[in-house]
Amino acid sequence: MKDFFLYLFIPKESNNHRAKILHHTNLFLTIIFLLLTSFFIQKLRVTFPSVLGVKAEISLQELLTLTNKERQNNGIAPLAFNDKLTDAAAKKADDMFEYDYWAHNSPSGKTPWVFIKSSGYKYVYAGENLARGFSTTEDVIKAWMTSSAGHRENMLSSNYQDVGFAVKLGKLNGEETVLIVEELGNLNIPIARNKTAEIATASQTQAAVKNAHSQNREPFINSLSFSSNINMMIILIFIFVLLLDMIIIEKKKVMRFVGHNADHILYLMLIMALVGILKGVII
Amino acid sequence: MFARLSKHSAYYASLIVILTLGFLLAYNSSNRSFQIGAVIVTTFFYVLWGIMHHLINHDLNVKIVIEYILIGLFGLTIIFFLLSTNGNY
Repeated sequence: MKDFFLYLFIPKESNNHRAKILHHTNLFLTIIFLLLTSFFIQKLRVTFPSVLGVKAEISLQELLTLTNKERQNNGIAPLAFNDKLTDAAAKKADDMFEYDYWAHNSPSGKTPWVFIKSSGYKYVYAGENLARGFSTTEDVIKAWMTSSAGHRENMLSSNYQDVGFAVKLGKLNGEETVLIVEELGNLNIPIARNKTAEIATASQTQAAVKNAHSQNREPFINSLSFSSNINMMIILIFIFVLLLDMIIIEKKKVMRFVGHNADHILYLMLIMALVGILKGVII
Repeated sequence: MFARLSKHSAYYASLIVILTLGFLLAYNSSNRSFQIGAVIVTTFFYVLWGIMHHLINHDLNVKIVIEYILIGLFGLTIIFFLLSTNGNY
């Protein structure tokens, strides 16, 4: 067993002075293995969501707090939590799951404003931010705040004074996912407001949080962190083997015609960084 | 090892620039298709740069080309694995 691992990970005469895992055949087999495993995991997610499913720790209270924190950092009055907008956000999320779409407008042409109006919120200004596939509140807010597609403008617009959120678990395109809907609005023509505007009372928000969480059930394995962790582990193994290979060969002064390990390490570090940032999707 | 790395410092600096640009493009976009495009383009340039470097050093052969392509494919497979298994593509 020990010999096998040495053969696999350490460059020596028996593996032609190149860790066996870095040989072309093994790299190719690793790629095939990853493709097959991803196919298997995808099937497992769809067939047994209670085993491998989505688990998100996103609360409405945190969404409101972090949104208002960003606004305050930019000198804009905080948003007040609004039950009607929360109702509109929930209806919008339900509609996306029911008619299986991921867009601001439904396939039948229903705009976000239809949901806001039907909840009884007679807005002068309104806006909507959508996100899916995130596992923490911080990641959602960060994605919206770093977006150049209007999400940041919505978050920081002084045209809005109220906000409502919905965090719902359901299936889109046959895949289980968590949808986060943010509906923003203003009942009046905006005027300069001071920063002490009243925000949601704790009881209101907590009731809404309870409602949102009641729709989540905990899977045995969280697919969001599971695939990230597996990928991180595989990349780290390869970086470690490449580094070890580079050091040992340099020490032994063995002449080989192979690619530069340092190039591969740098490239894999980029992939590792991307695994860390490619989380959810926003529109 | 460090002597060789410093000898090729200009090459590594340019590679770091390519990879950093690729990362920044993906990081600063909220569009998933654009992010995937940035990863593919960066991988393409990484393979191209690796080949060019060996070509300049007069030690390029088919096995080296295949190695860069396989490492590039490995990186892309990792990203595909991540996005397809968490449903966030």
